[in-house]
Amino acid sequence: MTPTRTATVPAPPTGSPAPLGRTLGTTRAGVRLPALLAAAVVALAPAVMSVPAATASGAPAGSTLKLALTGDIDSLNPFKAILASSTGILALQYQSLVAYGPKNNEDVPSMADTWETSTDGKVWTFHLPSDRKWSDGKPITAQDGAWTFKAIQTNDQLKQANGSLLSSVESVEAKDAETLVITLKAPQAPNPGTQLPIMPEHVWSKVGDPATFTNDKDSVGSGPFTVTSYDKAAGVTMKSNPYYWQGKAKIDGITYAPYKNSDAAVQALKTGEVDLISGLTPAQFKALQNQPGITTNAGTGRRYQAVGINPGTQTPDNTPIGDGSPALHDVELRRAIVMAIDNKTLLDKVLQGLGQEATGEVPLAYPQYNWDTTDLPLKYNPQGANELLDKAGYTKGADGIRLDKAGNPLKLRLMGRNTDPTHQQMADYIKPWLKEVGIDVTTVMKSSAQVNDDSVVGNYDLYFTGWGMGPDPDFQLSINTCASRPNADGTGATSENNYCSPEFDALFKQQHEELDQAKRSALVKQGQEMIYNAAVNNVMYYANTLEAYRSDKFQPFVTQPEVGGVITGQNGPWGYYSATPVGMAAGSGTDQASAGFDPAAVIVPAVVVLALAAGGFVLYRRRSATAGDRE
Amino acid sequence: MESTLNEPVLGGAVPAPAVPPGAAPAKDTDEPRRGGSWPRYIGAKAGGAAVSLVMVVLLGFFAFRILPGDPVRSLADGRQVTPEQMDILRRQYGLDQPLPAQFWRYLTDLFQGKLGDSYTYNRPVMELILDRIGPTLLLTGTAAALSVVLGLWLGQRAAWRRGSSFDKTQTGLALVFWSVPTFWLGLLMLLVFAGGLHWFPTGGMVTAGVQATGLGYAWDVARHMVLPVLTMVAVVYAQYLMVMRASLLEEMSSDYLVTARAKGLREDEVRRKHAVPNALLPTVTLIFLTLGGLVGGAVTVETVFSWPGLGYLTFQALSAPDFPLLQGTFVVFSSIVILMNFFADIVYRLLDPRLRAS
Repeated sequence: MTPTRTATVPAPPTGSPAPLGRTLGTTRAGVRLPALLAAAVVALAPAVMSVPAATASGAPAGSTLKLALTGDIDSLNPFKAILASSTGILALQYQSLVAYGPKNNEDVPSMADTWETSTDGKVWTFHLPSDRKWSDGKPITAQDGAWTFKAIQTNDQLKQANGSLLSSVESVEAKDAETLVITLKAPQAPNPGTQLPIMPEHVWSKVGDPATFTNDKDSVGSGPFTVTSYDKAAGVTMKSNPYYWQGKAKIDGITYAPYKNSDAAVQALKTGEVDLISGLTPAQFKALQNQPGITTNAGTGRRYQAVGINPGTQTPDNTPIGDGSPALHDVELRRAIVMAIDNKTLLDKVLQGLGQEATGEVPLAYPQYNWDTTDLPLKYNPQGANELLDKAGYTKGADGIRLDKAGNPLKLRLMGRNTDPTHQQMADYIKPWLKEVGIDVTTVMKSSAQVNDDSVVGNYDLYFTGWGMGPDPDFQLSINTCASRPNADGTGATSENNYCSPEFDALFKQQHEELDQAKRSALVKQGQEMIYNAAVNNVMYYANTLEAYRSDKFQPFVTQPEVGGVITGQNGPWGYYSATPVGMAAGSGTDQASAGFDPAAVIVPAVVVLALAAGGFVLYRRRSATAGDRE
Repeated sequence: MESTLNEPVLGGAVPAPAVPPGAAPAKDTDEPRRGGSWPRYIGAKAGGAAVSLVMVVLLGFFAFRILPGDPVRSLADGRQVTPEQMDILRRQYGLDQPLPAQFWRYLTDLFQGKLGDSYTYNRPVMELILDRIGPTLLLTGTAAALSVVLGLWLGQRAAWRRGSSFDKTQTGLALVFWSVPTFWLGLLMLLVFAGGLHWFPTGGMVTAGVQATGLGYAWDVARHMVLPVLTMVAVVYAQYLMVMRASLLEEMSSDYLVTARAKGLREDEVRRKHAVPNALLPTVTLIFLTLGGLVGGAVTVETVFSWPGLGYLTFQALSAPDFPLLQGTFVVFSSIVILMNFFADIVYRLLDPRLRAS
C-alpha cells in the first residue's frame, strides 16, 4: 500500500519545483524532511526573534514626530519641487523673507524682522537681523536673498517651481549684509518677500548645477527642521535645526513614512506606526473619531469646490472656441442653474457635513478676503429658478424639458473627474435638480488630464472644478481677467472659467495696487461678488482638511488659522514646529508593536528555512535518485 | 508497445525526454538533426523577440502621445503658473518640437541607452526605474516562487486524489482566492493582520526613519514583505494549481503508468517518478508566461502595501502624464514579458523532444 502523507499543513514542505524530467525523490526523504524543518524552525526562531527588539529600541520614543507621507516626492530641490508633499517638506526647511502667521495668515517676521515700502509702492526694503544663522551655523545675510532671486531670474532651469513669483520683480539688491532691496516693475499689494524660499548662497553657489542638485542629504536650511536623508523606501528624515531663530523645536525631528494608500496610513495611525495623518476621506475621519488615543481635526480648508458654467469660451482676441452650449451665453439661464443646485445638501450628503457653506472663491480660512455675506442672491430656490426661466422665455416642451432660444430642447453635459468619487456623487444629485427646472443633463466622468484639456479650451457645458489657494487672493482674481484667456490650442494663460469683463479687470488692477489692507479687502470681496453674479462659477462649499493625530503621544498642535485651522499643509511651519510630546514615557505605539509575541518572528524564519530546506532537498534527491534507479 | 519502449527513458540522463505515449513517432531519436536545429531554433525565437521589442519601442512613443492631457498643464494644475513659465517648461521637455523631431530624439536617446528625463521627478528615467526595479523583483520573485511551489504541489496532490475532499477543498479555495479582487484581499489582510492584530507593519519596505543594517535590515524587509507576498501568492497560485491538476489528470490515464505499477513501484513512486514529470510540461510554459505578467500585476499590491516599486511609479506617470517615464516603464515591462516568452520557448523545447524534432 502507498504510505499516505496527508497534508495537515498547507505549506508545501516537499513541493519544491522538481528538477524537470528527472526522477523524483523517495518517500523516505519526504518523511524525514518535515521533522527536520520543524527542528530548524524551533531552533532558529528565538535567535531571529531577538532582532526586532534591537532595531526598535534604537530610536528614542516620543522625540520624533512620525508623519504619513501619502503624496509623492518629485524633488527636494526648492527650485524644482512642485508636488504638495515636497513643497510641504521644504516649507519646514526654508524660510521666506516674510512668513504667514499662524493666527490669521497675516504677514509676520521671518528672515527679515522689519520691512517697508516706498511711497510709490515699487521699492520694498527688508531688514535681516545680524544674529540669524543657517542650520550649519553660518550667518544669514541679505546676499543669500539676492543670490536666490538672481538665480531664478537668470536661469530658466530654475524657474520651474517659483518662477511666477518673480514676474513682477525688476531687480534685487543686497545693500549690505542686513538690507535687501526689491524693486518692482509696478506697485503691488502682495508682499514680494512672502512665498519665495531663500537658499544659503554658501551651499548652493558651490554646487555645479543647481538645477540637478538633489539636495536630499544633510541639507542646510533656516527653518525649524532640515532634511538629513531621503530614500524612496525609508522616507524622509528631518532633524531639528538648533539655530532656528525662534528656538529649537521640542522634538528631535520628523520622519515621513511613505504610504501610497490612505487606508494603510489610517491603520498605521491606529497601530502607532505614525503619529499624524492628513487628507482623510469623510468615512475614514468618522471612523477615527472615537478611537482611544487619537484626536481628529477638521481644519478649515483652503480650497473651494464649484460647478463651472461655460459662458462661451473665447481667446484673448475674442475668437470663440470650444463646443459649449450657446444657450449658456445667456446669463439668466446660468443664474437659474445656480439657483437650482442645493449646495447645502451636497455639503451634508456628499461631504458628510465636513466643510463650510461657501460664498465666493476665497475660503473661510482667509477671513480677510472671504466674502462674508449671508444673503446670496442666487441661493437654492427651484421655484425661483423656474420663474426666472419662464420669464426669460424658455418654455417647457411636452416632456417637461424647456426649449432654448433656438427652439431646441435644453440639453447640457456635466463633466467630472473619474479620480474623484465625490464628482459622480454630486452629479447624481444635480441631474434630477436640473431636470426639475426643465434642463436635461447628461453626466460624464473623465480622466483628470482630459478634464484639464477640455475645460481650458471650453469643451464643456458644466464641470466640477476647484482651486486651492494661498493667503493672498491676487492670483485667484487674476485668472478671471480677460488677459487670462487661453489660446485656441490650449496654450498660453489659464482662465478660471473664461470670464471676461472690463469692469472686473479695472477692479482687479485697483486691488492689486491698493496698499491699504481694509480697502483692498473690500475690493477683493467686490470682485468675488462680480464673478458670482455673472454665474460662471457656482461655488458650493469649502471642504475641510481632515486630519488625525496620536493625542496620547503629542499635545494639541498649533493650527492655522488659530481657530478651526489646519495642522498639516500650513502656510508656514507652525503646526509641526509646535509638536510637543506628552511626557517622556510616551511612545507606546512602537513599544506595543515590538513587545510580546511577534508571529512574524516565526513565520518569516519558517519561510526562509523552508526555502533553504527545499534547496537541500533537491540536492538530496539528486543523490538518492541514482540509488533508486538501480532498483 | 511504443509506450513501454519509451518508459525506461524516463529515469534517464539530462535532459530527460518525457514522452507521452503514442504521441512521438520513432524518428524523433535522430541525434544529429536534433543538435543541428538548436541554433536555428534559438535564432528564430530571438528574432521574434527582437521584432516584438522594436514594436514595443515604437508603440511606446506613439501610444502615449494619443493620451489626452497636456503634460505641462497637468504639472501646473492648480498652481500659480505664468504662461511664460509654462513655455519654459515646454522648451525644457522638448514639447515645443514637432512630433517627428521628438520621436527622433527619443530614438537617438534610446540607442545611447537613455530613456529621457522624467517631467515629474526631474531625473533620468533609467535612474528612476533602476531605483525601483529591485523592490519589485524581490516582491514578485518571492511571490512567484512560493506560488509555483504551492500551486504545483497542491495541484498534483489534488489530481492524484481526484474527487477526494482534499481535491475539492483545495481547488475550491484556490478558485475563491483567484476570483477575489487583489486590492480587496490586500486591504483585508492589512486591516486584519496589521491594523487589527498588529502582527505586521502596515506598509512600506522598511521601517521609516530606522537606519538598520545587515541582519536587522533583512529582518525588517522580511517583516514588511509578509503581507504583500501572501496577497500575491493567494491570488496567483490558483492558476498553477489548476493547470498542474488538469495536466496530471491527463497523464493518469496513460498506459505507461500501468507499466510502472506492474514493475512493482509503489503508488507514490509512480506519481512522483513517472506521472508528475510528464505533467509538468505544459505547466512550465505557463509559469514563464505568467512571470512576465506578475511584474505588471504588482501595481495593485504595491499600491495597497506602499511598496516602493515600479508599479506605483507607473501609476504616477500615467496620471501626470509623464511621457518619458511612461515610455520607460512600458518598455521595461514589455521587455520582461518578451524575455520570459523567449525563455518559455527554450525551456519547452528542452523538455519536449517532439519540438526538437520539428
